[in-house]
This record gives sequence, C-alpha cells and structure tokens, in this order.
Amino acid sequence: MGVVEIRGLTYSYPNASAPALKDVNFSIGEGEFVLLTGPSGCGKTTFCRCINGLVPHFYNGDMKGEVVVDGLSTTDHEIIELAQKAGLIFQNPDNQIFALTVEKDVAFGLENLGVPKQKMVEEIDRVLSLVGIQQLKERGTHELSGGQKQRLTIAGVLAMHPKVIVMDEPTSFLDPLGAKKIFDVLAALNREHGMTILLIEHRMDLAVKYVNRIIVFDEGKVVKDGSPGEIFYSDETRLIGVGIPRVVELSRRLRNRGLSVEGAPLTSEELLAQLKSRLGPVKRGAEKGAIKGLNELAGEHSHSPLVRIEGVSFTYPTGVKALDDVSLTINSGEYVAIMGENGAGKTTLVKQMNGLLRPQEGKVYVDDLDISKTSVASVARRVGLVFQNPDDQLFAEDVEEEIGFALRNFGFPAEVVSKRVEWALNLLDLERYRKSSPFILSGGERKRVALASVLAWDPDILVLDEPTIGQDYGQKERLRHFLQQLRAQGKTVIIVTHDVEFVAEGQPRIILMAGGRIEADGPAKTIMTDFATLERCSVAPPEITRLFSGLSGYGFPSDVLDVDEASDIIAGRLGEAKK
Amino acid sequence: MSLLEGLRFSRGDSPLHRLDPRVKFILTVALFSASIIFFDLAPLIVIFLAQLPIVVVGRIWREWLKTLKGGIFLAAIIFATNLGSLYFFRGQQLTADIVEFSLALTLRFLALVTSFSIFFLTTSPDKLSLALEKARVPYEFNFAFITAIRFVPVLAEEAQTIMDAQRSRGLELDKGSFLVRIRKYIPILLPLIINSIRRSLELAEAMESRAFGATKYRTNLYELKMKLIDYIILILSLLLIATMIYIRFYLPPFPKLITF
Repeated sequence: MGVVEIRGLTYSYPNASAPALKDVNFSIGEGEFVLLTGPSGCGKTTFCRCINGLVPHFYNGDMKGEVVVDGLSTTDHEIIELAQKAGLIFQNPDNQIFALTVEKDVAFGLENLGVPKQKMVEEIDRVLSLVGIQQLKERGTHELSGGQKQRLTIAGVLAMHPKVIVMDEPTSFLDPLGAKKIFDVLAALNREHGMTILLIEHRMDLAVKYVNRIIVFDEGKVVKDGSPGEIFYSDETRLIGVGIPRVVELSRRLRNRGLSVEGAPLTSEELLAQLKSRLGPVKRGAEKGAIKGLNELAGEHSHSPLVRIEGVSFTYPTGVKALDDVSLTINSGEYVAIMGENGAGKTTLVKQMNGLLRPQEGKVYVDDLDISKTSVASVARRVGLVFQNPDDQLFAEDVEEEIGFALRNFGFPAEVVSKRVEWALNLLDLERYRKSSPFILSGGERKRVALASVLAWDPDILVLDEPTIGQDYGQKERLRHFLQQLRAQGKTVIIVTHDVEFVAEGQPRIILMAGGRIEADGPAKTIMTDFATLERCSVAPPEITRLFSGLSGYGFPSDVLDVDEASDIIAGRLGEAKK
Repeated sequence: MSLLEGLRFSRGDSPLHRLDPRVKFILTVALFSASIIFFDLAPLIVIFLAQLPIVVVGRIWREWLKTLKGGIFLAAIIFATNLGSLYFFRGQQLTADIVEFSLALTLRFLALVTSFSIFFLTTSPDKLSLALEKARVPYEFNFAFITAIRFVPVLAEEAQTIMDAQRSRGLELDKGSFLVRIRKYIPILLPLIINSIRRSLELAEAMESRAFGATKYRTNLYELKMKLIDYIILILSLLLIATMIYIRFYLPPFPKLITF
C-alpha cells in the first residue's frame, strides 16, 4: 500500500456549483517525487489541501471517497494528527512564518504538540542543517531573503517528521538560481532520506530534472499519470495546455522533420549526449555567431532615446542601498527585460521611471524631460507601470469601473473614457466580465484586468513587473503574443522577470542586475551565453542555450536561445550528414 | 513619530538584554514610580542621572538619544504650558518657584521616557510574550501579540505597494478638498482590507498545517530562568521603591535649587 492512497475522491467547496475534484483515484508510493500539474483552476491546489485534511475539516464542503495518508483516513482523523504525516507548504512564505526568530519558527509545530525543550533544540539543529540554513538559527525572520524564508518553511514542516511533503508552487517568488537551490534541497531529502514529495510547479524545465512521476489534472479530474517521458511526449498533454520542457519540444520538432531521436530526452544533458554520438569527432571551424542575421532582429527599434537614467543612486530609509550609480538608455520601440537576483534593485529601478521613487543622486529623463519636478500622475501618462500582484490595485465595483479609474484620474471626458474602456476590454478579451466584480475573477483574469487598466490610457512605455508569475502555460503564451502585438504598434515594452524561458522566446534586450548595479546590458543572445555573469546575477541560462554551449565544439553557433532556431540548425546539420 | 522609536526593540546583547523580563519590568516600574512621585527638581535630577548608567550598560544610548530628540518638542510644550499657566494664575509674576516647578515637570517627562526606553529597547517581543505567558495570559492572546508584531513590517510594505500602484494609475492623494482627499483613500484601503482577509485565511491554513492548538500543554522553546543577577536586581528594585516612598512621605521637603 502506498503512503498516500486516493480512492474515488470527489469534492465540492461549500456553495460551489461544480465539484473541484471529480473521482480522483491513485496511489503514491513511499519515496516518490511527484509533480502535479495542469492549467489554472484544474483542482491541483484543492487536491493538496485534501492530503492533510484541510479538506474537508477546514473548508467543509461535500467530500466523497477516501484519502488515506500513512494509514490514516483524513475523514476520521483531525488535521492535528494528519499534520504529523503530511507537511503542507504554500506559495507565499511570508504567510507561513509565525515567529520572530528562525529557531522559534521551526519550533512552532513542536511547541504546539508539547514536545519537551531538549528534544526541540535537537530537532531544530537537525532540520536546519537538512535545508542548509543552520547558520541563520538565531536570525530574525524578517531579515531573511525569499529563498531563505522558503527553506525555513520546509524546515518547519520537517521538524514534525512527516512522511510526505506537499508544496504548492514553492518557488514562484524566487530568482532562477534560488529556485534551483530549493529543488536541490528537496532532491536531497527525497534521495537521502526517502521523503515522499508532491509538488505543484510551473517551471517545467527545472522540475523535469528532479521528479520521477507526473500527474496531470484537468477540470478536477486526473487525465494523465506517468513518468515524465510518457507525459511530455504524449499528444494529449499538449492539448490540455500543460507547459512542455524546451528540450522535449525540440526533440519532437526534430522527429517531425524525419530525424530520429531515441528514447525520451528531457534535459539538455540527455539530448546533448545523443547528438554528440551522432556528430562524431569534434570539428573545428565556424563557431559563435554562424547565423549573424538573426541577431539584428533584436535591434529593429529606432534609435531615439525615450528613457534616460543617468548616474542614479537610491537608498531606502532603512539604509538598504537599492541602486548604486545606475545609467541606461531605453530607445523608443525597444523590448527590454530586466533580470537578476531577488533584491538586486529591479523594482526600485522601474519605480524611478515614473517618479514613484526619486533618485538621491543622478537624473531620470523621459522624452528628454527631467522628471524630478514632475508629478507621478503626469509621468504616468507616458510610462504605464503594471504591478506584480493585481490584488494590490483592484478595488472597484466592476471591471468596467476598474479600467476607467486611471482615465478619470487623468481627467478624460466621459465619452473618451467609455470609448477607451471599450477598447481595453476588447484588447484583453474581457468583454464578458464587464459587469463582474474584479474580485470574483480567477488569478489570470485579475492579472489581465490590471493590465487593461493601465493599457486603457495608451501609454507609450509599458512596464510590467513579473508578468508571468502564477500564470500557466496557456496564459503565458497569450501574454507573449500580446506583447508582440504591442511592439508591432511601436510601443516600448519593459518587463522585470525571473522567467528565463519566457525571455529566451521573446529575445528582448536584457539588463542584468546584482547588488543595485547593472552587471550586463545587451541583446539576449550575448547576455544568455555569458554564463559567468548570469550566475553572478542568480540567473540560469535557458535549456536550449545550455545544449548549444555543449555543442559549440562541433561547429554549431553557441548563441541559440529558442526552440525554433535550434531545430532549424540541428535539422540542417544532421540532414546534411545523412546525405 | 521618532518618540516611538524608543519603544521599538532592536536586537542586541548586553547584561540588560539578558535580564529576566519580569525583573526588568519591576525595575522599570521602580524607575517609573520614582519619577512620578516627586515634584521637586533636585530628586528628579538625581533620578534622571541615575538612569544614565543603565542606558550605557544596555548599550542603547544611541537609540535612547534618538528617542529624547523625538521627545524634545513635547518637553518644550510641557515646559511652556506650565510656565505660561502658572505665570498667569499666580499674579503674572515670574518667580523662581514657577521656573523650578516647570523645569521639574519637564525633567520628569524625560525620566519617564527613559524608563520606558530601558524596558522596550532591550526586551525582545519573544521574551515579553514569555513573561506574559508566566503571568498566565492565555496563549491565544500571546500568539496574536507576536503575530501582530511579526506582520507590522509586512503590512507596511504592502500598503506602500498599493499606494504606489494607485499613484501609477494617476491617483493624486494630496489634491482636492478634505472630503475629496478622504474619498481618495478608498482605492488604497479596499485592496489592503481584502488582501488582509485573504492573508488571514492563508495564515489559518498554515497554522492548522502545523498542529496549532494540538494540546493544552504547549511547550515553549524559550524558557525563563532567574539567575543570581536577576534576584539581586529584583531586590534592589524593591528597595528603590521603598526608599523613594520613605524619602517622599517621611522626610522633610527638598530645598529649592533656583533662586532669583
């Protein structure tokens, strides 16, 4: 019998019209590392809540069937008992940390259970070293970085000796290397301590390296269950709209072109080994930049500077120096991605662009106008800033009013307001929600409303802070097309993001930041192949680029970022070799 | 509000930080009551000066000075209103008595601020909560207290983000009449309230997931243990209170310091 047994599980939230889970059946064996995936609203988060009894005890509602965790049925046992069998970790670490110091927070669960002090002290040392933050034991919890906080929450549930750890998007707020470190911690727990792990994650390219089983949910049902190879190479998975690792996508394209790819490679290392054996001995010759023409695509913008930042430094009242002598110019029509580690100063930098924060040193110009004396409202007419979390701005009674809010603030006449609201609703496919309260919409829809509420006044420069967080594959694709559309209209688009693969596909100019400084600035192809600088800024290179860096000795260009280009190049070479 | 700086704990280590919070509380009560039972300048100068070594031992003189700086405006008001009102009620004559009394009250205020600073600047909320626990305050109350402290910076940051998001959408908080301006806070307050409700739900889930309320016999990682130094300070504090009462009520009044 497995450590988690699900039999005929159907569940509806109180007052819900349709069940969130429908007839779910499967069993998870001890020591498995399972990825739960599926489009937004497919029921995967609800499923997590079933494992430690939050459903049905905390949420009530109507549950049929049975969930058994390490021999305990969740309907007959209380959450208190189940919490010692299954540890749940949620997306936002801030909402799971209760104490003011690290050791005290780890102790929280143990204190609740009445564990004696001496035992607690031992447990704290044990679990903090398991997650690799023992040196932070006495630190204040508010001083921790995002990655350290998430490790702390893992330590907090480990202290209770669970059989299973269940995590709901634990790395959403982390930079790429921070996310990888969390996965490394989980992998070590899984391999060395036999911990069973269930995980929801949108970073497929990363997750696929660690998990050994994938369960796909859609509309409350389990539609696929198998090894990563089976799942990702099946056509059904693609139709559901689950993200596919880039290497899998590339292998499929190569197969479609009549080239044979053996087995089911999932990572760049696996595919690389195959290609190497087929290419034979190392060839000398053309290396970097074999296909030069593509580089120019990234620079199709005009060269009139739109935003100029000159020698800007900024220190928060807390004493944190967030920007240290930063200079950069953004030309009109450019597409720019600002990347870098958590706390590198990315958000502080974009807040300088519409005057929310004023530089203590240096100057910011928009359209050659020094904005130091200009109000935020008037700079915002040109520079539209969309924040990361839509819930930090939605407040109106219905979507229409929400979108019209800024227009009314800017003093547009009523008929212009209604015309522009109409336009924005249409643009982001929100017409049917016109009279709905923004609060009842799903996360992805709320994000679209927030975007529409800024686009409505048609700013020349659009700045998006973390537009892909919490978005599933389909939503990301839509966003990508939408940004392309905006660029075609000549808008300048700036995104702040951790999403390497999203950047690899759009290939914007990349600005890499670390410690309040710009570490590198240039076309995507140049930046993404400079592995040392990327690492310094806590950014991992895209999978395809890793593959091509391994192939560079065979006469391939090393600066390849996306699947399209990669499949053209490889098919060209291997096809040639066949003849 | 830099006066409130003096109430914000900053991590540090000193004999004063290590003192048992219950004893420190008694010490603070002793210093506090010493400052309020006297109305004369002479004893208040002594009390104020006597607190300075404690501030030095606790290595909080920098924070304490900041607090005093914040309190100086209020101190000036206390001095001016006392001086002014006494001047008008006592025949519009500026006597040495009036000046001395007003100075004494001002110094009393500063001594009170210092005694509070000594307690709050060197006592971590965790220790405070332990002391409350020992005083039989129910754990739920204690938990709420710690959670409130834990989430003050988180909520402040969230409020700032919301304000930034709405200002980016052209909201100008400082324009318009008083009523118009109050209405402008709706787009800030609503998301803040709704996010807080969402957050409290997530917190509740996380608490449940870590066996909150599993047993009545909850243990605590941190424990309070009275050491020798704690007993010494406790006895000294009690002695201080007794001495002060004796001086105030059984000894002749103090001589005046200021004469014209």
